[in-house]
Amino acid sequence: MTPEALAELAARAVADAEAAVDPAQLEAVRRRFLGRRDGELTRAGAQMAAAAPAQRAALGRAFNGAKAEVEAALDARARQLAASVDTERIAAEWMDLTRLDESWTPGRLHPITRVLREIEAIFRQLGYAVVEGPEVESERFNFELLNIPAGHPARDSHDTLYLSDDVLLRTHTSPVQMRTMLEQPPPIRIIAPGRTYRRDNPDQTHFVMFHQVEGLVVDEDVTVADLKGTLLTFARSMFGHEREIRLRPNYFPYTEPSMEVDVSCFLCGGAGCRTCHHRGWIEILGSGMVHPQVLRNGGVDPERYRGFAFGMGPERIAMLKYGIEDGRELTLDDVRFLHQF
Amino acid sequence: MRYSANWLQDFVDCADVPTPVLVDRLVQTGTEVERVVEQPGAPAGVGVARVVQLERMPGSHHLWLTLVDTGDPEPLPVVCGAQNLALGGLVPWASPGTDLAAVGLRVGVRTIRGHGSQGMLCSPHELGLGSDHEGILLLEEGAAEPGTPLEVLVPPDRILELEITANRPDCLSHLGLARELAAALDRRLRPPELAPPPRVGRPAAELVTVAINDPSGCRRYRAEVVEGLTLAPSPLWIQQRLRAVGIRPLGLTVDLANYVGAELGQPLHTFDLDRVGGADGGVRVTVRRAVDGEPFQALDGGERRLDARDLVIDVGGSTAALAGIVGGRASGVGPATRRVLLEAATFDGPSIRATSRRLGLRTEASARFEKTLSPVLAALGGARFVHLAHRVAGAAVRPGPVDVEPLGPHRSVAIPVTASGLGRALGMPVAAGEAATALTRLGFEVTTAGDALTVTPPPDRLDVMIPADVLEEVGRSLGYERLPPTVPGRRRPALVVSPPAAREAVRDLIVGAGVDEAITVSLTSPSAQLALRPLAPPSPPLAVRNPLGPQWSALRQSCLPGLLQAAALNQARGAERIRLFEIGRAFWGASPSGLAEEPELLGLVDHVPAGEAVEAAARLRQLAALAVTVGARCADGPPEVRPQAVAGLHPGRSAELWAGGRRVGVVGELADGPRERFELRGRAAVAELRLDGWVVAGGPRPAARPLAATPGVVEDLAVVVPARAAVGPALAALRSVGIPECESVRLLDEYTDPRLGPGLKGWTFRLVFRDADRTLTGEEARRLRAAALETLAGAVGARQRETA
Repeated sequence: MTPEALAELAARAVADAEAAVDPAQLEAVRRRFLGRRDGELTRAGAQMAAAAPAQRAALGRAFNGAKAEVEAALDARARQLAASVDTERIAAEWMDLTRLDESWTPGRLHPITRVLREIEAIFRQLGYAVVEGPEVESERFNFELLNIPAGHPARDSHDTLYLSDDVLLRTHTSPVQMRTMLEQPPPIRIIAPGRTYRRDNPDQTHFVMFHQVEGLVVDEDVTVADLKGTLLTFARSMFGHEREIRLRPNYFPYTEPSMEVDVSCFLCGGAGCRTCHHRGWIEILGSGMVHPQVLRNGGVDPERYRGFAFGMGPERIAMLKYGIEDGRELTLDDVRFLHQF
Repeated sequence: MRYSANWLQDFVDCADVPTPVLVDRLVQTGTEVERVVEQPGAPAGVGVARVVQLERMPGSHHLWLTLVDTGDPEPLPVVCGAQNLALGGLVPWASPGTDLAAVGLRVGVRTIRGHGSQGMLCSPHELGLGSDHEGILLLEEGAAEPGTPLEVLVPPDRILELEITANRPDCLSHLGLARELAAALDRRLRPPELAPPPRVGRPAAELVTVAINDPSGCRRYRAEVVEGLTLAPSPLWIQQRLRAVGIRPLGLTVDLANYVGAELGQPLHTFDLDRVGGADGGVRVTVRRAVDGEPFQALDGGERRLDARDLVIDVGGSTAALAGIVGGRASGVGPATRRVLLEAATFDGPSIRATSRRLGLRTEASARFEKTLSPVLAALGGARFVHLAHRVAGAAVRPGPVDVEPLGPHRSVAIPVTASGLGRALGMPVAAGEAATALTRLGFEVTTAGDALTVTPPPDRLDVMIPADVLEEVGRSLGYERLPPTVPGRRRPALVVSPPAAREAVRDLIVGAGVDEAITVSLTSPSAQLALRPLAPPSPPLAVRNPLGPQWSALRQSCLPGLLQAAALNQARGAERIRLFEIGRAFWGASPSGLAEEPELLGLVDHVPAGEAVEAAARLRQLAALAVTVGARCADGPPEVRPQAVAGLHPGRSAELWAGGRRVGVVGELADGPRERFELRGRAAVAELRLDGWVVAGGPRPAARPLAATPGVVEDLAVVVPARAAVGPALAALRSVGIPECESVRLLDEYTDPRLGPGLKGWTFRLVFRDADRTLTGEEARRLRAAALETLAGAVGARQRETA
């Protein structure tokens, strides 16, 4: 046995290892060369004892080198073979992830809830509290304290559903104004969302039951300009920052002065389109300075305090915002409709 | 109300103002414009003609053969089918070749049943002048010579359709709107012509006496006696103005009253003095309340029963008119009328409104009166009527009027304001001068002393009474567009009420679980409610006294009927997956406040189409888990599920949810009865929970514990129990009874196996025992396991399963 023979043996083993195509062949190669008893390299090592002492050191170094070389080649090949097995498995494990699990999809919030949440979020940021009141209301809170006595023509527009002579389904959430004023001293900043009822035959824009959000601010030195700025902030938050508003004088018994608020059309930008009836403006809410008598009815001194109030219809806002043409869709709960939101 | 721009032009120059500017100025100052219609004048080719011969066409029941003088030397033959022609009358004649655009007709030379007809005589409708198509437009004598183009008499006009708010009855007239327009355009207002006619004959007071029995119902009653007024056709200009604003001309006397109504806003009523007069020709007019049950024959022919709330005009002892609403059949003017008693009165708005609504009688007059008119208008309207009657018809007016104002004449109240106060309320500086100018333009009288203004509204502006009203007049005149947008100063925080955030968290949780949100109408039919209202008290639903229909006649006591109706609608429309929830109030009968108890409920419905029983059971379990998860947000901890037959639900598949010692919800499968009632196929899992004062109060505040570093011991426990044992109590017992080291327990498996024996089933629980301070020994683990078995045996009669 010579160092040259050992090197040649090692070279053959490395070549066989590299030629092995699977872990079993590679194991056979290992046994053939490094088998404990009859591996060729193992046997060559055993023969070193027979070598002349002068050559033993050189032979020993050659043997260790050859063995390390073969072991390294076997390990390297083993890693290569393992890697190729992973590659095949991974390739076999392909999945179509565009196929989604349809056994679960989240439900949808009703569009009115979406609108109410948006309105509430805007006014919360402006420091308003959200207050609720009863839906079954007294005539006193729904009408009388709000400056709408019996026989007042304004009652015509509130076709009212009655439970008894003086108990009714509230026609607006304005009674919450009165309840709030009577319960807490100024300053007051509230919005009052909720369900309201009218004796209206349902059509595209009328409903037996609908929602309203009423707003009320009472403080010293509240101005019409404050009303305008507040509603401008609201309109821009709700319909886009480039919106403008205009206040049109109007009449409500519980505010003086009273005005309707139009927002510049968010579809055509004011140029005129079908949604705004070619006016460039869309009416979105009614508002005004709280009538001094209403303040007095609420236990608030009109000489010291002023207030403004506003009211808006989430159904109308939802229809405008989401392009709902027939408002009755909002009341049917057809899941095909709900799934659009 | 409709307004004619030509008519407005009498009082303010506006003919030159382009329509968009007109609209903008009206809108900005507070008058809602619905639309503006360009009204063309009479068509070219139509001229004035005189009927010079009029004969029935032989053999025809309705056709007439006429000869008309069209201004040409020879009269022309025209066949006509209208029945209101009179020999010698003036009518519009369309020459052959005329296009009548309003009816899409080109006039020609025709032969009708062998008779030649050149051109045609036209109705207002055919001329595009109004909707009246029953007769030929009749022109008054002297309107124009035959041959005059009709366009000279009927020029083009603009019709403004405006919505006037309830507080501004003064604007329900051309003069009132002209005042607004004059202010908006900064132009001068011309007053109406009121030159008094010569008064002839014996004074009206000798013929007419007026008594007002109820001064609260009638502020003023002003009567005139006019002779020589008939129902002959009115001058075309009057007819045309009436048509332009939607009033059908009916003849001079009536037309003049209507004209003054539309012009000045004062409704007038005319009685035939000879029909209502007594034997001596004199009448006594009494304004009184009706007697209960008093019958009344209105002009329209219908008979009404009146009561003591109704105000009537009694003439000579019989009810001649329902005050301010409609005249009586027996007292009205007709073709034979020669002497007219003119009523210009002021009635109480709420009284008129109540009667008008109760009797379902709404007229032009009632629509004005019910908004409360100023007594000053009665004088204005009466004066204008007699002026026109004399000018237009040469009528003779008796010396008068007879004018009764039991409470004295109306006086406008002077309102003190300051310019600085107006500015503080508006949020921008206001100069006393500009405020005074704005108010003066609107007809207010203003005296200024430095910052102070004393403001007297025009007598017909009853809506202006307090400084806030003056603020509105100044604000809208200066223009709200001038106001800077500001937000209220926040020198002090306003009270903030606890927000209903928990409700929104519940909503999000349920949507996340795959359920769609519905909003159903809180009004319902009582029978739908009685079919399923598991949480409600036994009292019947609150009924609406004046419902729109039976389906909206009661207030709901549960969300579930509405949700099931929505599910049925979806089923009918072919939806496959119907899972709906609603959060809203129910109404559980009267509350101590006298209103209603309004609990907030959560309703859940999960509909499984027919034939999928396994799926239905799984979904019912899911829905129950969802209900308990929602319930876990309550202050009292997760609710306990107590199996219990619930009305309307499957008796073997229903349970109540209990927390804090009260029933807070139910869950179960819909029973067959209500399922059929709501026309649902298959099965439906439903749940209803009470949210108010429970979940919405917010969940318990979480409390953190240190995580134990010691290892836990996992023990699986196989037991045998009766087939109908409920696992809920078993788990609750394991969690709560006497084994402090029991960290978690869950049901690993439930199975049936014939080897267990009849009527039995198997459960496998996995328990984790842990002591935070030290590792449990094997002996301790065995002891804990035995304790667990003992607990189970006590709770549900479980015994350990023998291992094979």
